[in-house]
Amino acid sequence: MERWNKVYEKAINVFYHSVWKKTWPLWVGAVALGFANTFMFAYARALGVFPQMAMWGSWIYNLAGIKVDAPFTAVPLKPLHLDIHSMINFGIILGVAMAALISEEFKIRKEDWRGYAAALVGGILMGFGTVIMIPCNVGGFYTAIMALSLSGPVTVLGLLPGAYLGGLFLKRQVKKATDAVDFNTAPAGEPVGKTASSIQPIFGVIIGALLAVVAFVYSLQGNPKFAGLLLFGAFFGVIFQRSRLCFASAFREILISRNGTLMKWILLSIAIGTIGFAILKSQGYQPMHFVFPLGLHTVGGGFIFGIGMVIAGGCGVGILWRSAEGYVRAWIAVAAGMLSSGAWVLIYGNHVGKGWLYGKPFSLGEEFGWFWGTALVFLFLASFYIFITWVEAKK
Amino acid sequence: MRKIKTSKISDKHYQVDMRGWVCPYPKYAVESLVKKLNNGNQMDLLVDCPSAPDDVPRVAQAMGCNVPEIIRIGGGEWKIVIIK
Repeated sequence: MERWNKVYEKAINVFYHSVWKKTWPLWVGAVALGFANTFMFAYARALGVFPQMAMWGSWIYNLAGIKVDAPFTAVPLKPLHLDIHSMINFGIILGVAMAALISEEFKIRKEDWRGYAAALVGGILMGFGTVIMIPCNVGGFYTAIMALSLSGPVTVLGLLPGAYLGGLFLKRQVKKATDAVDFNTAPAGEPVGKTASSIQPIFGVIIGALLAVVAFVYSLQGNPKFAGLLLFGAFFGVIFQRSRLCFASAFREILISRNGTLMKWILLSIAIGTIGFAILKSQGYQPMHFVFPLGLHTVGGGFIFGIGMVIAGGCGVGILWRSAEGYVRAWIAVAAGMLSSGAWVLIYGNHVGKGWLYGKPFSLGEEFGWFWGTALVFLFLASFYIFITWVEAKK
Repeated sequence: MRKIKTSKISDKHYQVDMRGWVCPYPKYAVESLVKKLNNGNQMDLLVDCPSAPDDVPRVAQAMGCNVPEIIRIGGGEWKIVIIK
């Protein structure tokens, strides 16, 4: 009996405290994300969230009687529950909600109108950034580099200065507020104490059960891949929520705080994924998957997206998962991002990747062979790492 | 301009309420708040963004402060105790 008590204690410590109560170390999140993305690519497709959100935006326009096609041809207009790609997004939302509730970190996070205005502007910038850069930060930078798309490394030239500019704006906002703080004239107040223990974990378990039921129903209906992508999405959600792996912060902090720790772990994550993607692609499996058009639009769109993601408080996936943590700012950013990108075909007159604005896709693997293509990606990752270290060295 | 609610709990003990300020605002704010705090004084920083309990102590400790306690005060809210 005593032996089983020990087993129980150890198991609770790992499966409950380490997973749901403590924040995961960044490297755990980064490594998990790299492998999960490779596995999901092998299963069906890689991680990217904004093209689906853009389709949701077009879908809403059509509901309102405005005829507009979805901007990304890879994610055509469909009722949302019949769109396999949207399963990843729904999975992320449910996975984050589950994780945030079980770990008692959920809260409807209200702000004043300035925060909401920033979310609106940020969301609109991201919406246009995603259709110009192609697609979002996670799809266009993170996954695209793994997929050996030359566009991936080039997005850094836009995202990095964009995120810096956005970061300066945030710093300015908070500086004004801290300048006004004066401890000597602070009015007397009562200390805020602990509130009673929360029932959030119960709701978290209910959402987990709901997730399992929805996945089960999809597979009963003969759509096991819908169920699979929903569960993959939920796993991504748990990774993001528990490890606080935020791509907007990774880009922003390099130049704002001269701290590139987060981005360095993301580079490791990309390195893991690159090996997996190169192995799969070199054997003829979806060789052009996540290889995007490359041109000046990659940099320009990245710059717009970079500003947007920082003032909105998260990149495409960042605002999606924070919306499930109760951030009102993220709700506004998601809505603004959906509706601006969803109108792209009306504004531009063509789909993403077609027409005068966009260049041609360039696959390092197809052009230089999969071995040398992978070597070039690693050379880029090493150079970016050294650049970050060089920036940090001036601290 | 948005205000940060500051109150005096007792002599040399203040409470700064940054609930409603999403990340990374608390992390950026703590540097100048610590500068304004007198030596030996305590500041309880209230935050409600889940990255702040990790980020804020790091900045404060790098400035030579002591962070003896991070208390979960409710669902999604924390109190970070900073002593200069």
